[in-house]
Amino acid sequence: MSLLPDDDSAAAEFALGTLEPGERATLAARRLREPELDAAIRAWESRLSPLAEATPPIEPPVDFLPAIEARIRAAATPPAADDVAALTRHLARWRAAAMGATGIAAALAIGFVAREAARPAAPREFVAVLQKSADSPAFIASINLDKGELSVRPMAAPPQAGKSYELWIIEPKLGAPRSLGVLDASAVTRGSRLAGFDQAVVKDATYAVTVEPEGGSPNGQPSGPPVFVGKLVPVEP
Amino acid sequence: MPTLDETPRAAQAKAASEDLAALLARVAARDSAAFAALYRATQGVLYGVVARILTRGDASGEALQEAYVRIWEKAGEYDPAKGSPIGWMATIARNRALDEIRRVRPASLEEMPEGFEPAAESVDPLAARARSERLTALIACLGKLDADKREAVLLAYYRGFSRDALAKRFGAPTPTIKTWLRRSLMQLRECLES
Repeated sequence: MSLLPDDDSAAAEFALGTLEPGERATLAARRLREPELDAAIRAWESRLSPLAEATPPIEPPVDFLPAIEARIRAAATPPAADDVAALTRHLARWRAAAMGATGIAAALAIGFVAREAARPAAPREFVAVLQKSADSPAFIASINLDKGELSVRPMAAPPQAGKSYELWIIEPKLGAPRSLGVLDASAVTRGSRLAGFDQAVVKDATYAVTVEPEGGSPNGQPSGPPVFVGKLVPVEP
Repeated sequence: MPTLDETPRAAQAKAASEDLAALLARVAARDSAAFAALYRATQGVLYGVVARILTRGDASGEALQEAYVRIWEKAGEYDPAKGSPIGWMATIARNRALDEIRRVRPASLEEMPEGFEPAAESVDPLAARARSERLTALIACLGKLDADKREAVLLAYYRGFSRDALAKRFGAPTPTIKTWLRRSLMQLRECLES
């Protein structure tokens, strides 16, 4: 098994950093489900990494260590349990959206089926590519099932002036979409709200992003249909 | 102790690398004092990496913080066989910076970060004080590329130049730059593996 020459070149340019934004986002999403591509990118990063050693240092303008330590602590502290709200109004539409998302997810997950069957232990790390279509990933959500940790990285989500992206978990057992919080469109968003959910629900759920008024949905209900959806696939160890 | 076939610079690089590797191992075991020491020892290089790519100071600070959170999370995944600790950490920081500029808009030639004169755009790896064996090999292979192509690769690596920005700089069409970069990278790999 070897990479197509085009993918090899793209992996090289990914590591160099010269892919166009759309190409970069697509490759970043593909590497999550194509171990060979991921290995090729890592090999290129490793080949070029000695250059980084030669980087002349620049002292940061402020001491970022306290802020970094605070982020690390925040990621390790579970927040209060989510409010449970009855969200019957949007339920039918959301169920329909979840069904649609399942089709996309099936296409994404198909490569994992064979490996899953052979895996001795159940995987604990999952990712979901949240997207409109297979070639336009907007966010990538990573989940650690044991810790209930969630981190969501923006890929190509267009900024929404005066609006916020909000992430929801949808699963029939939950009855209604439940908010996992507002997403930062320009930086990684971390949270551990999933710790309050049953692991089987977390694994099987559909994840969806809506556009909400700034700061998130005012009433705990999605204001409109999802703009990006995805299902979890296990990460190769 | 340096062995006979090591140059002083390589010995220096190796000793520093072993210290950082030991710190990384402690960070992987959730040692926050080791994390603070690792931050102090590497913040300058990592900030140097992100600040040369990102044109805004706030974006550089954000990328630096994200990078260290990731280093805390991933410390256990560091593999000495794949490179030096500083190379591994700087690659993480560099990727955060690249995600940022390749997400919003391409780097602009007009928006150089403060403190960078055009003449100082490209970092000269030859000036590195401590050189690992891997860096020495990579420099030798870079030396075999045409001068323009070598400069294009280095501007992309150190300054995050996009193909369009390189096209402007070298007065060549963007597809030509893409071909340059891909051929140069393949040539580098061939040279490194020979």
